[in-house]
Amino acid sequence: MTTNRAKILVVDDDPDFLDAMRAILTAASYGVVTASNVSEGKQTILSERPDLILLDIMMDSLFDGYSLCHAIRTSKEFECVHDTPVIFVSAVRQIAGSRFGFKGEDQGLTGPEDYIDKPVKPADLLARIERFLKK
Amino acid sequence: MTETNPLVLIIDDEEAMRDSCSQILLKDRYRVETAKDGATGIRLARDLHPAAVIVDLKMPGMSGFEVLESLPGIDPHIAAIVITGYATVDSAVEAMKKGAHDFLPKPFTPEALRVILARSLERRRLVLEAEALRKEKQLLEENFITMVSHQLRSPLVAIQQSFEVILAGLVGATDDRLKGMIHKANERLGALVRLINDWLDLARIEQGRFVGTFQLLDVRKILDRLVDLLTPSARESDISLEWAGSSVPTFEVLADEQGLEQVFANLINNAIRYNKPQGRVRIDLRDEANSVIVEIQDTGIGIAQEHLPFIFDQFFRVGRPGDKIPKGSGLGLSIAKKLVEAHHGRIEVRSELGVGTSFTVRLPKAAVGGAATGGASA
Repeated sequence: MTTNRAKILVVDDDPDFLDAMRAILTAASYGVVTASNVSEGKQTILSERPDLILLDIMMDSLFDGYSLCHAIRTSKEFECVHDTPVIFVSAVRQIAGSRFGFKGEDQGLTGPEDYIDKPVKPADLLARIERFLKK
Repeated sequence: MTETNPLVLIIDDEEAMRDSCSQILLKDRYRVETAKDGATGIRLARDLHPAAVIVDLKMPGMSGFEVLESLPGIDPHIAAIVITGYATVDSAVEAMKKGAHDFLPKPFTPEALRVILARSLERRRLVLEAEALRKEKQLLEENFITMVSHQLRSPLVAIQQSFEVILAGLVGATDDRLKGMIHKANERLGALVRLINDWLDLARIEQGRFVGTFQLLDVRKILDRLVDLLTPSARESDISLEWAGSSVPTFEVLADEQGLEQVFANLINNAIRYNKPQGRVRIDLRDEANSVIVEIQDTGIGIAQEHLPFIFDQFFRVGRPGDKIPKGSGLGLSIAKKLVEAHHGRIEVRSELGVGTSFTVRLPKAAVGGAATGGASA
């Protein structure tokens, strides 16, 4: 495999989790950039123009992932990445599952393309990324 | 919440009064807007959201009283001060009743204007601050459990993720002994995560934050699905699942689907786990007057009479012979009981040591045509 593959941005506040994701993605020859909070994520999106974004939901605040995803989809600043696929990678669904009404849509926020539970199975993650990058 | 250079709106039909007040306040670094009648004043208040309004009570057209009455609709905490030309106690009292913070009897000194405005704005500041704090506290309480569990789970998930990377062979070769050890560690972590999840569920239900989506549900369909789902794991444990309700009529209850599923899944899983080899689990569904009754009976190891009163207590665990490490969190039955109670139902247990245990869940039958959605709290 060569390195002419897509560039993926991972936004997560846990440095060890970022390391693990980097190991999975570089092994599959993806270019990897990381950010550890929303504002870093925003800067990196603009400077690196990733082809796909993996986004944690709960970082500094409960809805960080949702608000960033919403900004990517709707704000003028991020026009260049409006159509970039966003996948939530989070353990939030189990913590505050649908039973407890944790739905970004209810907050008037725009949701992601897909959702993957943590911990991530490397093969599963790569398969989903492939699917979105093919589109 | 401190407003720097607060905006003050002066509503007075006398130009001289508007000008002199403006000059005094501008010198004190307030921002000032003026209006020569009540209607203009209200429009400006709506557009500019001033922190304070100083209004003359006696104006041609709309009076100061009328202005006062419409201010709370614009901002309930606006600092309203009235100017009265005829400083009678009556008009002042009337103005205060209509929401004015204070009044300035004409003629007044610049100092009086300053002091009264400052006092009124201070009062507004305190009210706004208290409100902001109250909102923040409410938000904190609502999110506290979620944040705590996030803090507890994050490190565990990071460890699990690292294990996944190792097991996928992404950081070098692994032999089977290493893999076996990591699998074991991973399983223990998984159990810890489940414990945290269960504890969280329980904490939420106990706080009365069980916000389910209550809808008309066919209990039989839920059990049909669960039996399908759990049959493989029963078979693995050499236990037969007998579902005796698949042909009973439809019994509807007003319930939260996931909540109800969790109740029955917990009970059936227990019945499988605490059974004997080649044992049976029988699930019955029937109705009785105004109740729908689900009974889950096992031919298992049973529960000693002296333990029965405690089995719904948190972390009470009898333990299964042969289990070196308890599999469950010790919270499953507590959660089931709380969930059933959140549905205005009851859960009962009968057991005989060495013979088996039977759990009975009674749920109120939904009234015919009683479809409704809404939340319920425990």
